[in-house]
Amino acid sequence: MSSSMEFSQAGSFASAPASTSSEAHASAPNSQQAMWAIEFEKVSKSFGAHRVLVDLDLQVKPGEKVALIGPSGSGKTTVLRLAMTLEKPTGGDIRVFGESIVFDAAGKPLSISQEARIRRRCGMVFQQFNLFPHLTVLQNLILAPTTVLRQSREQAEKSALEYLRMVGLESKVHAYPAQLSGGQQQRIAIARALILKPEILLLDEITSALDPELAGEVLDVVRNIAHEAKVSLLIVTHEMRFAREISDRIAVFDAGRIIEQGPPDKIFSNPESERTRAFLQRVLNH
Amino acid sequence: MKAILEYWPVLAQGLWVTVWVALCIIPGAALGALILGALRLSETTAIRMTAMLVIEFLRAPSALVLLFWVFYALPLLPGMPRLSPLAAAILVLALDGAAYGAEIVRAGIEAVHRGQTDACHALGLSKLQSFRRVVLPQALSQIVPGFGSLARSMVKWTAIVSFIGVQDVLYVGNYIRGQTYNTVAVYCLLAGLYWILTVLCGAAFRAIEQVLPLNRALRAARVSTEAAPQMGATAGAAQ
Amino acid sequence: MTWDWSFVVKILPQLMDGVWYTILVTIASSAIALIGGLLLAILESVSTTLGRSFVRFWLELFRGVPTLVLLYFAFYVLPEAGVTLPAIPIGIVVLGVVYAAYCSEVYRGSLITIPSELRDACVALHLSSFITWQRVLVPLMIKRSIPALLNYVLGMFRETAVLFAIGVPVLMGEANVVGYENFRYLEPFTVAGVIYIGMNLPFLYLLSRFKDKHV
Repeated sequence: MSSSMEFSQAGSFASAPASTSSEAHASAPNSQQAMWAIEFEKVSKSFGAHRVLVDLDLQVKPGEKVALIGPSGSGKTTVLRLAMTLEKPTGGDIRVFGESIVFDAAGKPLSISQEARIRRRCGMVFQQFNLFPHLTVLQNLILAPTTVLRQSREQAEKSALEYLRMVGLESKVHAYPAQLSGGQQQRIAIARALILKPEILLLDEITSALDPELAGEVLDVVRNIAHEAKVSLLIVTHEMRFAREISDRIAVFDAGRIIEQGPPDKIFSNPESERTRAFLQRVLNH
Repeated sequence: MKAILEYWPVLAQGLWVTVWVALCIIPGAALGALILGALRLSETTAIRMTAMLVIEFLRAPSALVLLFWVFYALPLLPGMPRLSPLAAAILVLALDGAAYGAEIVRAGIEAVHRGQTDACHALGLSKLQSFRRVVLPQALSQIVPGFGSLARSMVKWTAIVSFIGVQDVLYVGNYIRGQTYNTVAVYCLLAGLYWILTVLCGAAFRAIEQVLPLNRALRAARVSTEAAPQMGATAGAAQ
Repeated sequence: MTWDWSFVVKILPQLMDGVWYTILVTIASSAIALIGGLLLAILESVSTTLGRSFVRFWLELFRGVPTLVLLYFAFYVLPEAGVTLPAIPIGIVVLGVVYAAYCSEVYRGSLITIPSELRDACVALHLSSFITWQRVLVPLMIKRSIPALLNYVLGMFRETAVLFAIGVPVLMGEANVVGYENFRYLEPFTVAGVIYIGMNLPFLYLLSRFKDKHV
């Protein structure tokens, strides 16, 4: 059913509005930095004595699809949570289209309203879906457009239906999340993230909580987004075949650092690092 | 028993006062509990600690001690108001209920899965928006049952207002006992009346539980799994 | 009216009498409630439908009727039935019986969370049902119930104040008497309130210890 998905309107959410990108140019210290959709500079993150990320450097171009792979506990998910400002870095800086999401121009912590404005360019889909169980599918989708973007209810519902059609679930408009399968819930969660037209989409192990036979329909949706849209994707995944097929670049994490990154073909067929080789051998032979 | 029933007009009036006090203190306590419970979870340490102190301070002496202090001692302090018995009773019982309810609210809010607030953050909702639209509606499913049993207790708390001269059903009952010396019947009647009031109160809260958004959603899901065979058939026809 | 410290010093000994009675009543009613509750919970678990509905009725009754009404009932009706008891034992028993109902709910709650495999193991070891209860189930029930029971003991301590209605000289009653005798209510009620608050502290300390242990 996902192959018959209609995708005519998919292009509409991807292209960055001209006004915001020129704003980003203006506020960036130099135009070199503004070309990155998101940029991590010497970012570290500790929880107590536990160091999750160590001096991470990572840049993603607008429209680029980057897959983060590596053993569990290597800090991949933390990268996404930092990008979404769900966590604050212990050190370093993160910039979205040239604007820091950590500090303001004076080097002080960002105010809540400044942070809210910048983080609006990012969207995130979670491992556990995190749909709002007390709201119907439609209410889940229009909550943010009506409260954050202050769209009218009619307008929000109209675009909600478009995105539901895109993930192939327009028939479930008035269902509650508990009435849907895990795969359907995750497709709704993707639509809920896309309706805000993010320029960077963060996908955090979106198939890990699903049975294998349900993972396919979710991956099909992501494939379509990746092919049709100009959105940047940052994907944490354990599905190696999917990572290889969809991404422009793969970053391999181990113990809070990127040990190797490069085009998928190179990483999978001819990895430089011994640890990458060991990791791939472990996951591909199972 | 027959002798007691001759006093039904005063008895009805007393019952009305008890019901009225309960109807004032339960919503009052609910409002106070919501505010105190939310402050108890504030990110600012000072607010959190203050809320905790207020809660423990209100709970520490029993409602009776608090009531006597507010009614007899408070007006003696310079600049403090002399409250009518009814006002003092309602104020004290509502505050005490708010303090106990605050812990119910706090536990209910903490029970909402962390991923829900993460999702709100990722969708750009402000703290207040995510509390009002997402966290609270879900927390209510746990708060309302807990608050229901607190409300049943609060109906019983109202009995102490007779001590400061509010003419509630217990006050009237004691008066009738003094007139008729029919002790057993009077107190059995009082016990029965209170018992009915608490049962009604419990029923009211169960009715509220039915209309909570999360409960409605879960009920809809239950119904649809029971009706799954038919739905599967129609879906097949559509394809 | 201004605060009079010398009056406070004068009434303090009498208030301390009230403190001792409060402690006495709390300990005695707790003993009744904790043991009675345990027996009720066991009775409900082992008994037939009849025993079970008796326990249920008991719980419903005490959950729906104010302690004050039960207190008056016991205080005024017992003498009519020919039983004349001083106020203190009446107060202790009424409070204990009411809270036994609450405590039995706590015990029952922890009893049903004990995995049934454990009972199977006891059967497999050929333990008699008395030994099973005495050596396995009851200790586990008590251990799991301690924090919740402590909460009820605290609630009982707070509710002792209501016993002044039948003339038990608990702290609240003493404060009332002192105030009435001297026509000064500010100091007795304020000092009593402060003492009541202070007497909560050991409970709160114990509760926080248990919370830390269990989280």
